[in-house]
Amino acid sequence: MKSVVLLIGRVRAFVVRDFQLAVSYRLEFFMRMLSILFVTTTLFFISQIFAGTFSTPYEQWRDPFLAWITALPFLNYFMVGFSSLANAIRSEQAQGTLEGVLMTPIGIPTLIISSSAWDFVQASFHSFLYLFFGWAFFGVEYRGSFLLAVLFLLLTTLVLASIGILSASFAMVFKRGDPLGMLVGTGSALFSGVFFPTQLTSQYAGGAFRIVSNLIPTTYGIDGIRRVLIQGQTFAEARRPFITLLIYLAVLLPFSLWVFARSVRRAKREGSLIQY
Amino acid sequence: MTTAALSIQNVSKTYPVPLAGFRRFFRLKTRAPVVALTSVSFDVREGEIFGLIGRNGAGKTTLAKIIATLVQPTEGSVVVRGSDSVRDEGRVREQVGLSTAEERSFYWRLTVEQNLVFFARLYGLGAAARSRITELLELLELEELRRRRFGELSTGNKQRMAVARALLNSPPVLLLDEPTRSLDPLAAASMRELIGTLARGTRPVTVLLTSHNLAEVEELCDRVAVISRGRIRAIDTPGHLRAAHRQHERIRLALGGLSVERTNALLSKVVEGLETSEHAGMTQACFTRELGDDALDLAMRALVEAGARIVSCETERGTLFDVLETFERETFEAAEARSGV
Repeated sequence: MKSVVLLIGRVRAFVVRDFQLAVSYRLEFFMRMLSILFVTTTLFFISQIFAGTFSTPYEQWRDPFLAWITALPFLNYFMVGFSSLANAIRSEQAQGTLEGVLMTPIGIPTLIISSSAWDFVQASFHSFLYLFFGWAFFGVEYRGSFLLAVLFLLLTTLVLASIGILSASFAMVFKRGDPLGMLVGTGSALFSGVFFPTQLTSQYAGGAFRIVSNLIPTTYGIDGIRRVLIQGQTFAEARRPFITLLIYLAVLLPFSLWVFARSVRRAKREGSLIQY
Repeated sequence: MTTAALSIQNVSKTYPVPLAGFRRFFRLKTRAPVVALTSVSFDVREGEIFGLIGRNGAGKTTLAKIIATLVQPTEGSVVVRGSDSVRDEGRVREQVGLSTAEERSFYWRLTVEQNLVFFARLYGLGAAARSRITELLELLELEELRRRRFGELSTGNKQRMAVARALLNSPPVLLLDEPTRSLDPLAAASMRELIGTLARGTRPVTVLLTSHNLAEVEELCDRVAVISRGRIRAIDTPGHLRAAHRQHERIRLALGGLSVERTNALLSKVVEGLETSEHAGMTQACFTRELGDDALDLAMRALVEAGARIVSCETERGTLFDVLETFERETFEAAEARSGV
């Protein structure tokens, strides 16, 4: 019980610190909100090009605006899960503050959770804004259970965070942006069906693309969320992407924690823990 | 019997070359690994102020970081009050406060208070955090700067902040890496007083202090280790170190009623290294003697018998600087001999 209280206290400390740092740049906060409104509005007008003339065999894509608005914020969220830890480690190393943090009795798992906590708070708010602007200004109606959508969101985020931990391990040792980041970032937008149905890539470019789509966890996350919010599916109907995500998590999470602990040990041996 | 708060046994540290195996495989040029520490061993007793002196790059900061668990030793072990720094690093970090002269380890856009609250929460201070921070801000004379951003502080105040952070969870062991480096003389004096108070308080704090200010080390430390090129060259009290490495002292006398020539004639028979001069209407005589010999007594008798009035007598004894200089010279000569220069 005491350790849980301690963990909550430490996560809170990071969230408060990052909030204080964020509000020290006030303008950026409002500009970001405005940019989300601009993106939502742009997507709405692009979708209006097809209004009344659009027919598609892909059920989730009958209203492209709805398909985009349900995928884009979550992709953003997943990417935070993936990149926030590596960014936090890089930023603490670059600023030189990692030494101060690691001098306290904070464990590596706590550091991982805490460093990314504020990014998740921020990403949740931004994702909510996308959905809210769609509903409030462009008449979008969501179906299905929001709770189930949140479950998909959390599961996909945890899977992406596991890859993010691998990415942070790379940053810890090599002090540079890593190849995983580029691959998952650009790959997710192209192969996981954020802007168009995944079936189109294999239809146009062959079965290999289908395999890539099937390997990327965000494909299942976005599919699951759309099944719930657009098609109104129940848990039983949407269980396939859910189980796939669970398998990813069971393999990736312990592996990434093991790799991260080894990276920290290596950085300590090399004396490069606090260097960038 | 006094127990060891800090036990360092055969600690060696070699910084490996990153990707050395990869470089060797592709026959790429690679530099030699850096040997920072070699078989360093010593114990620091509970409540002791232990000084570590040496030149830049001697290995002082590496050793402090190994104790603080930020760097792992290549060989050997560091035990802090019964906990091993590698196997039980969480427990060690609970017991050790590290203050370095590294200003970048704080968040520059947060205020003094916000920074300390953040670190206090990481230490798990909870509700007690605010009162502890107030106490430390008063102790380190930072109270008025409480709401000032860290980036706006002077270098000296940033250094005080580092000490305040190291003291947040009242650790029983304190590692102070050049704690007065950027402080003005008055602030440095009050910092020294604080360190002394901590070590001699009701719950004595064990202090490992590294400093380039040798007078400060002499004033504060119960024992001192001289480190040179990663090796411990000597460990003893400042007094013993001085005595062991400087057997001579310089005597400076100011005399009235005796000419320079007469003084020269009288003293040249009884002392060595005599230098005489006239200054402000008085005769100045300087000579060297071995500690505890009769030269001073003989000189005084000869002068008084000749009718001289002794206005002042000053002695110039060896300092830790001389000790350090001696060890550095010996290390350098040994290295030269090994390389056959």
